Amino acid sequence: MAEFSWDIRSPLDRTLVTGPYGARGEAGLSLTEIRNFDLVQAMARRGKAAEMAAAAKARFGVAAPETPKAVGNADATLIWSGPDQFFVLSKGGRHGIEALASVFAGSASLSDQSHARALISVSGQRVRAMLAKLSSIDLHPDVFAVGSAAATSMDHTSVTLWRGGDRGGQAVFNLLVFSTFAESLWHTILDSAAEYGVTIGHSEELA
Amino acid sequence: MRIVCPFCGERELGEFTYLGDAKPRRPAADAGEEAVYDYVYLRDNIAGPMSEHWYHGGGCRAWLKVTRNTLTHEISAVVPAAGAGAAKVDA
Repeated sequence: MAEFSWDIRSPLDRTLVTGPYGARGEAGLSLTEIRNFDLVQAMARRGKAAEMAAAAKARFGVAAPETPKAVGNADATLIWSGPDQFFVLSKGGRHGIEALASVFAGSASLSDQSHARALISVSGQRVRAMLAKLSSIDLHPDVFAVGSAAATSMDHTSVTLWRGGDRGGQAVFNLLVFSTFAESLWHTILDSAAEYGVTIGHSEELA
Repeated sequence: MRIVCPFCGERELGEFTYLGDAKPRRPAADAGEEAVYDYVYLRDNIAGPMSEHWYHGGGCRAWLKVTRNTLTHEISAVVPAAGAGAAKVDA
């Protein structure tokens, strides 16, 4: 039988070029793809939403979000993705699908999305101006504070958006997008961001 | 037009898909041909408040029951449709 091995690459591998992009001078925002994460979607079984919430609380020490929010502890973030469902975002297999299977046995159906989504993190001084071109959601800090989340669409593409912890005094917005739409959204983001100047990079660290 | 999703809040129309009248109920198996014909083909052409099913596919992917005035587009109520969310199984 022929030798056969997987070559695991990011869906943005072909497209992402690290370094400066767009207007020269001080970059108005930075655009970072986060790679190699574990992402599991949990959806409550019929009538088992309370049981799922209790299981999440026991595992993570925080209540699973029941409204569009992202909550977390040191090594996992729970992101609301719809009524009675959420994502578990983590690294290193601690909260991957194998690890979580027994936690949610009987209360929720799990589905591994680790390789089905790309994770893009945007921050910087002009980040809201850039996102305003793509989204009709009000991202002003009075309305969309740290930990706010939204299941929404950008450029006709479904995304899960949430605001992470500030970095260097700047708001950080995280975007989960279907792998197969990641290149398309990436180009749209670059077009929207070019006038502000962008620093492009990728990282293995969840922020 | 905007719809206030009970799960997500106010969102633009582009995130939603229209299904149609939320009133028709599937007739019982022994209801007869007339009732099935009515259920499958016959629709009221309402001028005024109408109960409709909408799908929030560009957002939380929940089915919603929207009361919309077909003359003015004014929306007076939006509630989750039965089965939207595992906790609301009897809604």
